[in-house]
Amino acid sequence: MNIEIHTHQFVLHPSGGIYWREKQSWLLADVHLGKVAHFRKNGIAVPRNAEGSFYQKMEILLPLFPVKRIIFLGDLFHSFQNNEWYLFKAWVKQQPFEMILIVGNHDIIPNWKFESLGILVQKHWKEGPFFFAHFPDQKTKQFVFCGHVHPGVTLTGVGKQQIKLPCFYKSSHQLILPAFGAFTGVHILKPKAEDRIYVTTSKEVLEIKEKY
Amino acid sequence: MNSVEQWFKSQNWEVQAFQKQCWKAYSQGKSGMLHAPTGSGKTYALWGGIVEEISRSKILPKGLHALWITPLRALGVEIQNATQKMISDINPELQVGLRTADTPQSQRTKLLKTPPFGLITTPESVHVLLGNKEHQKYFKQLRVVVVDEWHELLGSKRGVQVELALVYLRSIIPNLRVWGISATLGNKELAREILLGPTDNFTVVEAKIQKKIRVHSLLPKTMERFPWRGHLGTQLLPQVLKIIEKNKSTLIFTNTRAQCEIWFHRLLDEAPNLAGSIAMHHGSIDKKIRLWVEESLRNEALKVVVCTSSLDLGVDFSPVENCIQIGSPKGIGRFIQRAGRSGHQPKAESSIYFLPTHAMELIESVALQNGIKTQQIEDRIPYLNCYDVLIQFLMTLAVGAGFEPKKIYAAVTSSFCFQALDQERWQWILNFLIRGSQSLQQYDEYKKLIPDENGLLKAANKNITLRHRLSMGTIVSGNDLKIRYRKGGYLGSIEEWFISKLKPGDTFAFSGKILELIRIHKMEVIVKKSKVKQAKIPAWMGGRMSFSAHLSDLLKKALFEDQNKTTREFQSLAPVFEQQKKESIVPKPDELLIERFETKEGVHTLFYPFEGYAIHEAMANLMAYRISLISPISFSMSFNDYGFELLSDQAFSPEAFLDNDLFTPEYLFDDLAKSINISEMARRRFRDIALISGLVFQGYPNKPVKSKHLQSGSQLFFEVFKDYEPDNLLYQQAVEETFDHGMERGRMQLVFEELGQKTIVWKNCSQPTPFSFPLITDRIRSKLSSETVEDRIKKMYLKLEKAAK
Repeated sequence: MNIEIHTHQFVLHPSGGIYWREKQSWLLADVHLGKVAHFRKNGIAVPRNAEGSFYQKMEILLPLFPVKRIIFLGDLFHSFQNNEWYLFKAWVKQQPFEMILIVGNHDIIPNWKFESLGILVQKHWKEGPFFFAHFPDQKTKQFVFCGHVHPGVTLTGVGKQQIKLPCFYKSSHQLILPAFGAFTGVHILKPKAEDRIYVTTSKEVLEIKEKY
Repeated sequence: MNSVEQWFKSQNWEVQAFQKQCWKAYSQGKSGMLHAPTGSGKTYALWGGIVEEISRSKILPKGLHALWITPLRALGVEIQNATQKMISDINPELQVGLRTADTPQSQRTKLLKTPPFGLITTPESVHVLLGNKEHQKYFKQLRVVVVDEWHELLGSKRGVQVELALVYLRSIIPNLRVWGISATLGNKELAREILLGPTDNFTVVEAKIQKKIRVHSLLPKTMERFPWRGHLGTQLLPQVLKIIEKNKSTLIFTNTRAQCEIWFHRLLDEAPNLAGSIAMHHGSIDKKIRLWVEESLRNEALKVVVCTSSLDLGVDFSPVENCIQIGSPKGIGRFIQRAGRSGHQPKAESSIYFLPTHAMELIESVALQNGIKTQQIEDRIPYLNCYDVLIQFLMTLAVGAGFEPKKIYAAVTSSFCFQALDQERWQWILNFLIRGSQSLQQYDEYKKLIPDENGLLKAANKNITLRHRLSMGTIVSGNDLKIRYRKGGYLGSIEEWFISKLKPGDTFAFSGKILELIRIHKMEVIVKKSKVKQAKIPAWMGGRMSFSAHLSDLLKKALFEDQNKTTREFQSLAPVFEQQKKESIVPKPDELLIERFETKEGVHTLFYPFEGYAIHEAMANLMAYRISLISPISFSMSFNDYGFELLSDQAFSPEAFLDNDLFTPEYLFDDLAKSINISEMARRRFRDIALISGLVFQGYPNKPVKSKHLQSGSQLFFEVFKDYEPDNLLYQQAVEETFDHGMERGRMQLVFEELGQKTIVWKNCSQPTPFSFPLITDRIRSKLSSETVEDRIKKMYLKLEKAAK
């Protein structure tokens, strides 16, 4: 699904990431790396395989377009440092592109650790007509890309069918990305008439119209 | 004459035959099962034997001698008082203690340090005791365990908890005697076997006390304005008020807490003079208020109490003269139990009024009366292979003294629930607890249980111990918030999802009061009294009860055989039947009725097998699945005790349906498994399993922040197990439970074989029929689809926020 914002071209990918064509950058929100490991370290047996999905997903995403940069919109790591860190470190070292981390509420690993991997850590990031943040921000005049919410919507159909899906949630000055990580869940939002909703089924991104 | 008989004499009580039988059997060292109704003196039938034995032995026992397990905390106080009185009179040095979740910490410590002679407790509290490091010493002197109200526990996961506690206690105390007390139930033999284990040294005692029960139907004066659907029944309020007036005190049984709140308010609105003599009782109301209501009932200070199943059990309310059941009680056993709450004076009759909430329930009234006549009481289906409860139990041992896998395996597999647990699955469970998975993985830091130098498995660290202790128990409560007045004073608890829909300043009804929400603060809802008259009634998500097989049979019989009889119920129903027959039929015993009509909502197809909610839920899934194999189609389904509905945006043709023999019992369970994989049933079951097995942690009390990074919904677990670990036993348990308890696997096969013999009558109607009405207006639905998600979404639209319009 391609959309245009302020004459820039963005690809909404079914994985939950957004590709910014002009800047050859991926935007990824709420990866929550190490969440599975954190649970497991505390004796809660989440399947170990659920964790590896970030790297598998990246293997699919990266060959699609030329990549100069990844901007993580916060909550890259779920909690304290655990073994997941070493996997991530190894992965970062293999990548030729730049990375920026906008700090989220879950990012409690100290900044210098990220910086030592060559990742630029920022509270938020301004570029052209855009503003990149972790938390939604209605006051900024620029167009905001953010995460934090893990947005999802409830769809209804004829025959009282219902389905809940993660979505890209676009209002007039803001686009909230779905959570990129596995084992993250969704928070159901109720869209307003002027909002545009792009749900992802993990195979396809579809724009949903409201019913009048 | 022995000392207990003397004591009976001093109280001017007559010893009953069943009490004597129990005393004798106990003195012979036997285990046993006593079938007796509440209020019959069953407590003394067992304590009598225990006390008599002690008073003969002349040596005062040190330590805990008798353990009494009761399902209801409220019952504990009652039993403690009654027994302490007898024991003190016979042997003043013996103490009876009480330990439940309500017992203050200081008292618990005292009970642990100086064990009483007898301890009255709940299944959960027994497990807490087993989680103590010193529990082997504590239970060393134990000679007898009595399980009260076993019929209530059997058929629930708390029953499995009792089973595990018993097999474990037996493994450390040879010659432990076990006694059960139970009301009459269908499968008595099995109930006894599960509790007593494989022993020949037992007796079964029947208290032959038959209470007479009078059932009256409350009928509307005219059927014209009586609703075809609904669940409130408030149209009959004037008649209810008359009954209340006539009697000293009345219990009104409702099926849900919301219904309970509504009836309470409507009664007060209609008869303001009841203020002060009316009260409400349900599981979410604060304990103190509930105890006050129970006390007031006993003191004849209340004229009417509106309640839910929270008053089904136990406590003896002698002054209650009458009961009213609002809506279907869903089973004969429960109906008899509720009726039995009235007429407790010797030789008094129990009297209960049945109040139908919609037209179809009038037929049920006839069925219930027939059921009582023939005493058709339901079976309780015990749980098998409850891995969640087992995992919790193993953790409980691990946080205490630790456990040796080999020994515990022998004990666990001697229980009924885990009799078929093979080595392979046992190893799976151990791996799950020790490694968090079945294969060793690099980089993994999983920690839960670790073996100590003696090979005992123990909890890995303090945090794990603490989290386990805080989340023990099999009764699962949702995310409940406490309700509190601004100036202090708790009113009870309410589910988070309801309160999250309210804004400060909004009002809602709770515990008979209208409250205004001030704010939500640290898991507490702060409220003040409001003067508003109308307010939202909270709904509680509760499991829906299903018709029992017996009630279903009785209902079919009543519908088919009695409809032309001139009973009051069927006379009242005549206009409804007339309307039904305009475009459709009232099916005969050998017919299966299917109705089809269209509305704005889509194409409705309705089936009426009259087999109960649970069977219909499964059957609807199965039918939807089989039809969806013919061509891609999406269904939304609704079900009740009478039938089910498939609603779709396209019509499927009756010919395609009839020619393909879709009711065949062949491949029944294969097809069901497939339809369940893409439905919601197993997912719902999984919620409890995730909580019981400790996957989902609800947070430390008053410390919500610290555990935040460990909180996750059971839904998310269900998804990751499905995607990454489908052979996970807990995930599989959800599926198995759905088969056995959600759909009654055993009965399902029979039902399908019977359906094969029936003639299908397909009726195309121009408008909804009276039979269809409760179904098509039901808002609780599930879905099944054979279209791809993407195709379905393209036809869907967003639910818009109302304010935006």
